[in-house]
Amino acid sequence: MEVKDLSVQFGNEEPVLKDISFSVRKGDVLAIIGPNGAGKTVLFTALMGLISYDGDISWLKNVNLGYVPQKLPENIHLPLTVKEFFVLKSKKFLLKDNPLLQSVVHELKSVGLGEEILSRKLVNLSRGQLQRVLIAWAILGHPNVLLFDEPTAGIDIAGEDTVYNLLHKLQDERGLTILLISHDLHVVYRYANSVLCLNRTQLCFGEPRKTLTNEQIAKLYGESAFYHHDH
Amino acid sequence: MLFFSDQFSLIFLSGIFIALAASFLGAFIVVKRMALVGDVLSHVALPGIGLALIFNYDPILGAAVFLLVAAFGTWFIEKKTALPPEAIVGTFFTATLALGVILVPNEELLEGLFGNLFAITDSEAVLIIIASIIIFALTLFVARRLALGIIAPDMAQSIGMRPDLSYLVFLLLFASSVALGIKLIGSVLMGALTILPAVSARNFSWSLKSFLSFSVILGVIMTAAGILLAGYFNFPPGPLVILTGIVFFAISLFFRRA
Repeated sequence: MEVKDLSVQFGNEEPVLKDISFSVRKGDVLAIIGPNGAGKTVLFTALMGLISYDGDISWLKNVNLGYVPQKLPENIHLPLTVKEFFVLKSKKFLLKDNPLLQSVVHELKSVGLGEEILSRKLVNLSRGQLQRVLIAWAILGHPNVLLFDEPTAGIDIAGEDTVYNLLHKLQDERGLTILLISHDLHVVYRYANSVLCLNRTQLCFGEPRKTLTNEQIAKLYGESAFYHHDH
Repeated sequence: MLFFSDQFSLIFLSGIFIALAASFLGAFIVVKRMALVGDVLSHVALPGIGLALIFNYDPILGAAVFLLVAAFGTWFIEKKTALPPEAIVGTFFTATLALGVILVPNEELLEGLFGNLFAITDSEAVLIIIASIIIFALTLFVARRLALGIIAPDMAQSIGMRPDLSYLVFLLLFASSVALGIKLIGSVLMGALTILPAVSARNFSWSLKSFLSFSVILGVIMTAAGILLAGYFNFPPGPLVILTGIVFFAISLFFRRA
């Protein structure tokens, strides 16, 4: 995919994103880093075509996006089992759809969850379980690109590590292209083929080891320490 | 005494169908935390009834026009201003209750507020039954989008759904179902009929399917019981339907799940 001179502006306010250009090759992992309020999630919504923008976003043909949000809305009052959450993705949600359930079980297995989680309530899952369920939901139906918005809080280090191993595994096994918003530079060095630094404007783009110099990191987080989140 | 006559059976049946549509929609009203919205929105019907009576139209029609405009207005203002729906409805539509009380002639007012068993003609009853079936079917059709829009709006959008549009359809369906119930149950109590079955059902539901099913079943039972009691004791049906619902709600509290 290729993005050229992408800008996003809401009303007459300052642009949230200005002149962003980057490209991602098929099967690669792009990490997007930047302080809070840098426009990372906005970039995702633009990539999905959900908001209007200036500039060009061109995807390869037959691209099919899966999206894993940071979190679900708080205070959900709808009783919903994990199974029903998956079934809602299918147009045949009123009928008993056995092939669908088989693929759900398959996707759950590939994110390391057992079938028994299907009968649990979505709101009762732990943060880590919920994230795996969201990933399974996003890869159900075999997208070739996964947009992954990393949660900023609530998952312990061990849990986080396995989520990245999981993404890596999915990338290997299915040739998924992954765009990943991350807050963890270790993750970027370990898993990403390229990195995009954002703070409303584009500060860097390229291979992590070459691009992410100490100077660059200081520029991104250090000088704007005011925006830096404290978790 | 018309109890158990043909006319009563038809009215009874129309009440069941009103409950079917209203309590199904009410399930979504409750989980969207719009119980108050549903309640106040139903007051908008009253000036519609008043104007319809003055100009000699069917009050259901007058109520429907006002409700649909109000529902669309709520959706539009919420979309444009990001104000919570309570604020919009609470600010703009409580005034319509006052206006309604002034516009509706005294003898019709009580009926408009609390319903009347025998205000419904045979043809109206048939219209109510058909319209309720259509509303129920349409709600079933948008249920998937609505539920996903509540649980995970971003993910719903990522697979091409438009949660804002399904929300609009939902509000319009809700407005129509209130209009249908206005004569039998009354505008004040239609709001309660949509909410009560759902809040009771949520207390003992373990899944979306059980929640929606219990909501509809409870709505139908409370309406049936209320109308039968109203016919027997010659009371307005609205209050009896709601009181039956309250009894169910009290019982459901004992089954409350975490």
